[in-house]
Amino acid sequence: MIVSESDSDLIRRAQAEDIDAFCLLAERYARRIHLLASHYCRNLQDAEDLSQEVWLKVYQALGSFRFDSSFYTWLRRITINTFLNHRRASFFRRQGQTTAVQLVQIDSETPEKFFESQSSSPENIYNKLLFENVVSALAELTPSQRLSFLLRHYEGMSYEEIASAMNCSTGTVKKGVWRAIGKLRARLAPDTEEPEGLTSLANEY
Amino acid sequence: MHNCKDAKEQLTELLLDGNSGAEEVLDHCVECRAELEALAATLRMTTRLRETAMPSESYWTSYHEQLRERLTESFHAKAQRLRHATAQRKEFKPGLGFLFAFLRKPLRLCVKTFLWRVPVPLGVALFAVGFVFALFAIRIARTQPVQPPVVIHVPVEVPVVQEKTVTRVVYRDRQRPLKSAKRSVVVPTVQNTFAQFKPTDEVKLTVIKGGSLNEK
Repeated sequence: MIVSESDSDLIRRAQAEDIDAFCLLAERYARRIHLLASHYCRNLQDAEDLSQEVWLKVYQALGSFRFDSSFYTWLRRITINTFLNHRRASFFRRQGQTTAVQLVQIDSETPEKFFESQSSSPENIYNKLLFENVVSALAELTPSQRLSFLLRHYEGMSYEEIASAMNCSTGTVKKGVWRAIGKLRARLAPDTEEPEGLTSLANEY
Repeated sequence: MHNCKDAKEQLTELLLDGNSGAEEVLDHCVECRAELEALAATLRMTTRLRETAMPSESYWTSYHEQLRERLTESFHAKAQRLRHATAQRKEFKPGLGFLFAFLRKPLRLCVKTFLWRVPVPLGVALFAVGFVFALFAIRIARTQPVQPPVVIHVPVEVPVVQEKTVTRVVYRDRQRPLKSAKRSVVVPTVQNTFAQFKPTDEVKLTVIKGGSLNEK
């Protein structure tokens, strides 16, 4: 009978330079971090690089983890910092490019990579359509709006927690989330009465 | 009083927190209800995406393999750095050899960057000479006594208005008083005056300084 080790045991082992223990720990939380990264970035390759960068940083900083908070809270803080640094770095990288080029960067193979089933069932087609629409709508938000929305909606963090993590005021976060939702609503559900729209499809499933 | 703008903000919050108590905020407003439905549909889409759009298991296998490789690389790089630092600490021997080892890198860089290739001993010698020269220059600059400021005396002529007042004592005969005040000023006759004349020892001089040429 295999008894799974607790996070604390794995962290202690990883702090003693045990890579296997760290990989086990990473396997537990990798999907959540990857989900955030994939919705924050514009393509899967960037999301993969960013999420792996997070894990490398976590590995380097694990010695400073003092068990004051839960491991996921600590991990999420590093994730947010890495995302913000990535934003700054990409800003300097892409300073010479036009906005139009930046917005249309969704990998054409990304939806296929994201769905296990390659069948042409209506649900699968809907999921792929939805993915393309939502990711392109998210890409139109500013990075801080996108991050605030993801943390509020996906992670369920309070405005105060987000403000503390992003080093800005609560009001700024609130405005960012509301604007993000407003933009997404304008893009994804412009007319709720449209019969062939995604909204009606969403109601069916 | 129902305010659609405030209601929209509250509805967004309610949707994010779980959609409880929306009816009170709506207050039978048709526009707000339509807005609520649109917002709810938007958030439903993003929630559905979060639940369904997850890469396949094969993706995760390769993802974890890649992560393990990168972690192993990072671990080895860290261990190598530590070993290198430990070895450097063990090799540390103070003396000329250490000094030479310390200078080797910058000198090599200099030799590489310069057009003229200089042998290392010559380079060291040149560097030492330059260093000693600089040291002496600094020392001399520090030990030089501070010279007092040179004072130049320039004589300047100051115009002084000189006024000379000479008081002369005049004697007159008491027995023959003058008839008028005007006559008293008049110098007496030569016979009377010069017979009893005594030259005075007092000469009163008043010198007024500080006046300008134009002063009157």
